[in-house]
Amino acid sequence: MNSEEPVELIVVARRAGVRIALVRRYLEFGLFEAHSERADAPRYDPGSAARVAQAERLRRDLGLNFAGAVLVCELLDRIRELEARQ
Amino acid sequence: MALAYTDYYELLGVPRDADQDAIRRAYRKLARQYHPDLNSDSDAEDRFKEIGEAYEVLSDPEKRERYDRLGARWREQEQETPQADFEEFFTRQGFGGGDAGMDFSDDLFERLFGGRFGAGPDGPSRGPVRGFDREALLELSLEDALEGGRRRLTLDGRDIDANFPAGVRDGQLIRLAGQGAPGRESGPPGDLYLRIALKPHPNFRPRGEDDLDVDLPVAPWQAALGATVPVQTPTGPAQVRVPAGSSSGRRLRLRGRGLPKSGGGSGDLHAIVKITVPKQLSERERELYEQLAESASEEANG
Repeated sequence: MNSEEPVELIVVARRAGVRIALVRRYLEFGLFEAHSERADAPRYDPGSAARVAQAERLRRDLGLNFAGAVLVCELLDRIRELEARQ
Repeated sequence: MALAYTDYYELLGVPRDADQDAIRRAYRKLARQYHPDLNSDSDAEDRFKEIGEAYEVLSDPEKRERYDRLGARWREQEQETPQADFEEFFTRQGFGGGDAGMDFSDDLFERLFGGRFGAGPDGPSRGPVRGFDREALLELSLEDALEGGRRRLTLDGRDIDANFPAGVRDGQLIRLAGQGAPGRESGPPGDLYLRIALKPHPNFRPRGEDDLDVDLPVAPWQAALGATVPVQTPTGPAQVRVPAGSSSGRRLRLRGRGLPKSGGGSGDLHAIVKITVPKQLSERERELYEQLAESASEEANG
């Protein structure tokens, strides 16, 4: 559905409205991954911004830690997949 | 002064003498229940905000005390001096009388360092973040979905013009960037997703992903002898050949006349033969049917 080109991490941060350090933290926890394996210029799915924003809202609003917020996002994906199959 | 009174205790489901632990527990449970990232109900966002507001007040002993005492008017003192500077603040509080029971220094502290509104349950807010994505339903007729176009939607009192491409499908999501909930602390807004819902069509019935069924009324002699008859397709009238000896229920496939496929091309239209007998027969027709009946029974008996 998202046909936009992969973007740099700074673009993910800007679109999510958060600092890039926070986006890096979520990257470490595996919330999303680099699109290509080019280590010198990694690019990311533009949808990562919405994902970072969601994880961050959950972390703040529900008092979760990073691992917890990432886990909830992954479980939400699973629920969506299961619902789509019905 | 006609402020709507919201009972924060009722909202959190705690008694008026609940201690801070009970209030925190109730808030956390409800926050998990109504968090718009976890709950897709359309009123979840409003509920979540209300719960946050209730918690903001009841978790803060000063605000709670003022709320208990003043009820709906608890906020008035705050609203009197929006963005008051130091001097104005002191002057007004010092000579204006104000609320005799108010703890003046703590209120000043709060004004200087900001309230906890928008903060999480465990600490101060931590900078901007993009707002929630929202989802809304866009009901379209089959014809509109095939043609594409534009709709004006009103969401939360805002008018939003939404363009949808030709060939949108039932259940498809259309993203309107930046039309979701406003960001927090000047973060960017979320996106709005329109979920397409195709209204049931009086003639066409969906079949699988991209195919459609349509009834094809056929006269008995056409069904027996074969004929080319008009058929309605989503994009306009067409002709279909009914082979001789077609009974009701026979499917005649019109390739590529169904719904557009997501990867290009189109599904098929299935015209289903439905033999339709005229309600009233002319003299001549009656005669012919009687002859037909006679010859058929002769053949059956002979």
